[in-house]
Amino acid sequence: MIDHILTLLIFFPALAAMLGFVVTKDSMRAYGIAVAFIEFVLSLWLWYAYDPMISGMQFMESMPLIPAFGINYLLGVDGISLFIIILSTFFTLIGIASLTEKRRIKDLIITLLFLEMTMVGVFAALDAIVFYVFWELSLVPMLYIIGAWGGPLRIYASIKFFLYTFTGSLVMLVGMLFMAYFYYQATGQWSFSILEWYRLILPENFQLWLFAAFFLGFAIKVPMFPFHTWLPYAHGQAPTIGSVILAAILLKMGTYAFVRFSLPLFPDASVFFMFPIAIIAIIMIIYTAMVAYAQEDIKQVVAYSSVSHMGVIILGTFALNVEGVSGSVFLMLAHGVVSGALFLLVGVIYDRRHTKLMSEFGGLASVMPRYATIFGIMMMASVGLPLTINFVGEFLSLLGFYKQSHMLTLTAGVAIIVGAIYMLSAYKKAFFGPVTNEANRHLKDVNRTELLGLIPLVIVAIWLGVYPKPVLEPINNSVESVIQLMHDKAQSPEAKERIPDLSGKNGIISMKEAN
Amino acid sequence: MLEPIHVSLASLNLATLAPMLIAIVGALGILVIDMVKGGLNKTLYVMVSLLFLLLDLGALVDFAGVFIKNGTVLGFFDVMLMDGIAILSQIIIVVGSMLFIPLALTSKRFHEYNYPEYFALFLFMIAGFQFMVATDNLILIFVGLETASLALYTLIALHNRSKSFEAAVKYFTMGALAAGFYAFGSMILYAISGSVEINQIATILAEDHYRNIGFVLLAMAFMIAAFGFKLSMVPFHTWTPDVYEGSSAALAGYMSIVPKIAAFVVAMRLFEFLVHSGIVWLQVILYIGVVVTMTASNIWALVQTDVKRMLAYSSISHAGFVMSAILIGTTQANTGLFLYWALFSFTNLGAFTMLWVNRQKNLLPGQSSDHPYEKFSGMIKTMPMGAVMMGLFMLSLAGIPPFGLFWGKMYMIGAAVSAGYTVLALIMALNSAIAGYYYLKLIVFMFMKEPRVGYEKYYFMNASLSLRTIIGLAAVGTIFAVFAVNPLLKVITLFVYNSGY
Repeated sequence: MIDHILTLLIFFPALAAMLGFVVTKDSMRAYGIAVAFIEFVLSLWLWYAYDPMISGMQFMESMPLIPAFGINYLLGVDGISLFIIILSTFFTLIGIASLTEKRRIKDLIITLLFLEMTMVGVFAALDAIVFYVFWELSLVPMLYIIGAWGGPLRIYASIKFFLYTFTGSLVMLVGMLFMAYFYYQATGQWSFSILEWYRLILPENFQLWLFAAFFLGFAIKVPMFPFHTWLPYAHGQAPTIGSVILAAILLKMGTYAFVRFSLPLFPDASVFFMFPIAIIAIIMIIYTAMVAYAQEDIKQVVAYSSVSHMGVIILGTFALNVEGVSGSVFLMLAHGVVSGALFLLVGVIYDRRHTKLMSEFGGLASVMPRYATIFGIMMMASVGLPLTINFVGEFLSLLGFYKQSHMLTLTAGVAIIVGAIYMLSAYKKAFFGPVTNEANRHLKDVNRTELLGLIPLVIVAIWLGVYPKPVLEPINNSVESVIQLMHDKAQSPEAKERIPDLSGKNGIISMKEAN
Repeated sequence: MLEPIHVSLASLNLATLAPMLIAIVGALGILVIDMVKGGLNKTLYVMVSLLFLLLDLGALVDFAGVFIKNGTVLGFFDVMLMDGIAILSQIIIVVGSMLFIPLALTSKRFHEYNYPEYFALFLFMIAGFQFMVATDNLILIFVGLETASLALYTLIALHNRSKSFEAAVKYFTMGALAAGFYAFGSMILYAISGSVEINQIATILAEDHYRNIGFVLLAMAFMIAAFGFKLSMVPFHTWTPDVYEGSSAALAGYMSIVPKIAAFVVAMRLFEFLVHSGIVWLQVILYIGVVVTMTASNIWALVQTDVKRMLAYSSISHAGFVMSAILIGTTQANTGLFLYWALFSFTNLGAFTMLWVNRQKNLLPGQSSDHPYEKFSGMIKTMPMGAVMMGLFMLSLAGIPPFGLFWGKMYMIGAAVSAGYTVLALIMALNSAIAGYYYLKLIVFMFMKEPRVGYEKYYFMNASLSLRTIIGLAAVGTIFAVFAVNPLLKVITLFVYNSGY
C-alpha cells in the first residue's frame, strides 16, 4: 500500500466525499471529521515512511494517461512538498473540526473533501498537466465555498477570485505546452514530466518568456502585488473555513510552484528577474502592511498581513540559495499555521458578535482571557517573535537574501518590523482598554470545540519555533538538490555566480552540518 | 460513330455509396411505413431511425477497417472519396445524430415529433452531410450541402412557434445566399482550372504557379463567405443566435455540432492546400476571421440573458477556436480538430439536453424567453442532481480540467504552439478565460442564488427515462474523457495522417 500512498492520499477524500452524499445531515460533521482524521493519519504515515536522507523524489507512481501526448499520471514527494501535504490534511481536519456553519453543512463538508483532493493533488503531482488539472480544479470548490456561504458581496468576490486565477493559469498552460514542445524538439518525444523537463537546458531568451508565462499564473495565485486585488475581497466575503483554507494552503500553491517550476526550470531567468521580483516583494511587504494598518475590519487586517508575509516568502524564494529557499518553504508552513489560526480566531469572535469591526470591540482581554491569550500568541508568531514558527522562516529567508543584496534585505527587514505595528495596534484596539461596548460584556470565552481546533495550532507554532529540525532538515536536503540543479543548468556567468555550487559544499554552511 | 461506353460495375465501387444509401433507404422506409399505416407512435420512428443509423455506422466502421488496410477508396467515377477524414467525420456525424434523435422521446408532446416526415427528413439530412464530406468534387459537395440544408430548414420550421418560422425563413434566406456564393466560387475555380475536383484544382493551380492569383483570391473570397455562413464565422454569424433560439433545444444542440463538422471537413479540403501554397492574403484573412470569431462571439455571449442564446454564441466561439486548426494546417492541428469536436459533441449534447428537459410548453408569465438565467436560480437546492449535471457541462465547456473539453483545448493550443503560432495560442487561452465568465454565470445562478418559488416543477418537466439516460451518458463521457483521449488521438492521428492532412 505504501507504493500507492500518494494515490490513496489524493483520492481517498474524493471517494469519501462521494459516499458522503448518502450520510445523513446530522452525522455529516462526525463523518467529515473521521475522514479528515484518517487522511491526516495517512499523511503522517507518509512522513514516517519518508526517508529524510534522500533528497530526490520518493513514493513515485507513474501510469500512462495520454501517452500519445506525453501525459503521465506521475506523482512523487520530496522534502518540499511533503510538509505542505501534511499542512493541507492538517488544516482540512482542523477546519472541519471547528466548523460552526449551520447552513447546508452536508454540502459544505463534501465540498471541503473535494478541495482536499485537489490540494494534495497539486503538491504530489510531478506531471505538469496533472498538476494543472488539480490546480484548476481547486478553483471550483473554493468558488462554491465563497459563493454559497460567504458574506453579502460573496458572488462578486467568488467570480473575481475565479476569473483572476483562471486567466493567470491559462497563460501558464500555454507556457507548459511550450515547455513540452521544446522537450519534443530536443528529444523527439512529448513529455510533461517535470523531472524530464529538469534535464532541459533552454536558451536564455526562451527562459525569460517562459518564466513570464509561468510567473503570471503563480503570481496571481500567491497573490503578488499588483495582482493581489482579488484576495481582500475573497477573504472579506469568504466564510471562516474558506479564509482558513485559502490563507493556509491555497496561496501556498503559488509559492510552492515557484520552487517547483520557476527556479529549477529557468535558472538564468530566475537570476535575471531576481531583483525586480525582490523589489515587488518588498513593495508587497510595505504597501500591504500600510493598507492593513488602515483597516477597520479585523479580518481584513489579517488578510493584508497575510499578503505582507507572502512577500517575505517570495523574497526568500528568490534568494536562490539554500538558506533563502529552505527558509521560504519553512515560512510557507509557518504562514499556513499562523494565518490559518488567526482566521479561525477571527471566526470565533465573528460567531459571537456577527461583526468584525474593531471599533465594536475593546477590552476583550478581560472578558475572554483564554481567547485573548491564544490570539496574543498567534499574533506574536505572526510578527515573527523568536521561538515562534514564523521567526525561523523569516530569519532564514532574510539571511538567504542578505547574501544577494544587503540593502534590499535591510529594507525588507525594517519593513517587516515596522509593519508589525498594525498587528499590535489591532490587538490593542480589540483586546485592551476598558470594555466600552455593552454587547461585549458577557461574551463567552472559547469553548471546548474551538479549543480543539486552536490548541494544536498553538502547539505547532511553538514547537517548530523552538525545534524546527525535524521539518527543516528534509526541506533543506531537497532544496539543496534544487539549488545544485540550478547551478548546473545555469548558463550566464551572473547566474553561475549568484547560485551557489553545492557540489563541494565549500564555503557553504549547510544546515545539516551546522546541526 | 460514337463508341458505346462500357463501365464495369466493379470499377464503380458502389460500396462507397453504402453509408449514405442506408440513411436514404431508412428515410424512404419511414415514409413507406407511414403510408401503409398512419398514426403510429413516435417511439417507433425514433427506433427505426436509430436502427438505420446503426447500420450506417456499421458500414462506416467497415470502411475504417478497409482504410487502415488499403488506404483511400475512390468510387463512382472517382467522385466518392472515402479517405480518413471522410470516415472520421461521418462517424462523428452518425454518432452525433444517434445521440440527438432520441431527444424526441420527451414526456411532453411536441407536435413536430408526431410527423413521421420529421424522422425521414432527419435521415435525408444525414445523408446530405455524409455526401458533403465524402467527396472532393465541388458539385457533389454542393448537392450534399443543399440536401442537408433544405431538410434542416424544414425541421426547424416544424417546431410550432412563431419564432421557429422566423428562424427557418432567416436560415433559409441566409443559406440561399451562401449557396449562391458557393456556386460563384466553384464557377471561378472551374474556369481557371478546368476541374471541379479539389485535388486536381490544387495540382493545376500549383503547376502554373498561381498565374491567375486574382481569380483564385476572388474564388476564395466567395468560398470564405459561403463557409462563413455555414460555420457561423463572424461577421457571417448573425443568423445563428436567432435560429438557435427559434429551434427546439434538441435541434439547436444538433446544429451546433453536426452541420459544423461537415463544413469543417470541406473547409479543410478546400482551404488547406491554399494555406500551404503560401498565399499570405488568405492566411491573414483566415487569421483575422478566426480571432474575430472567437473573441467577438465571446463578448456577445457575456451579455446574453438567455442560456440558449448564450450557448449559441459560445458555440460560435468554439467554432472559431476549431477553425484555427485549418489556419495552422499541421497534422497535429487537424487531429486536434476532430478530437475537439468529438469531445465538444458530448459536452454540448449534455448542455442542450439539460435545456431540453426543462423546456415547458408555454412561456411562464413574465418570462420573455424559454431559458432565462433566472429560471435556474438556486437549482442546487431544489434539484441538486440536475444542477450538478448542468454545472459539470458548463465547467467542461469552460475548459476546466479534467473534464472533456479541456483536453481538446489543450491539444489545440498545443498544436498552435508547436506550429509557431504563439500569439494565436495566447489569444486562444485568453478567450477561454473570457468564456469562463458566462459559463460561470450560470453556475452562480444555480449554486449561489436563492431558488424562485414554484419553479422546481419546471426543471425536469420534459424529462423521460431516455432523456435522463442521455444526460447520464453525456456526463460519463465528460467526466471520464481523459481515458478516451489517448485511444481517440491514436485513431484520429492515424486517419488524418494517412489522408495526407
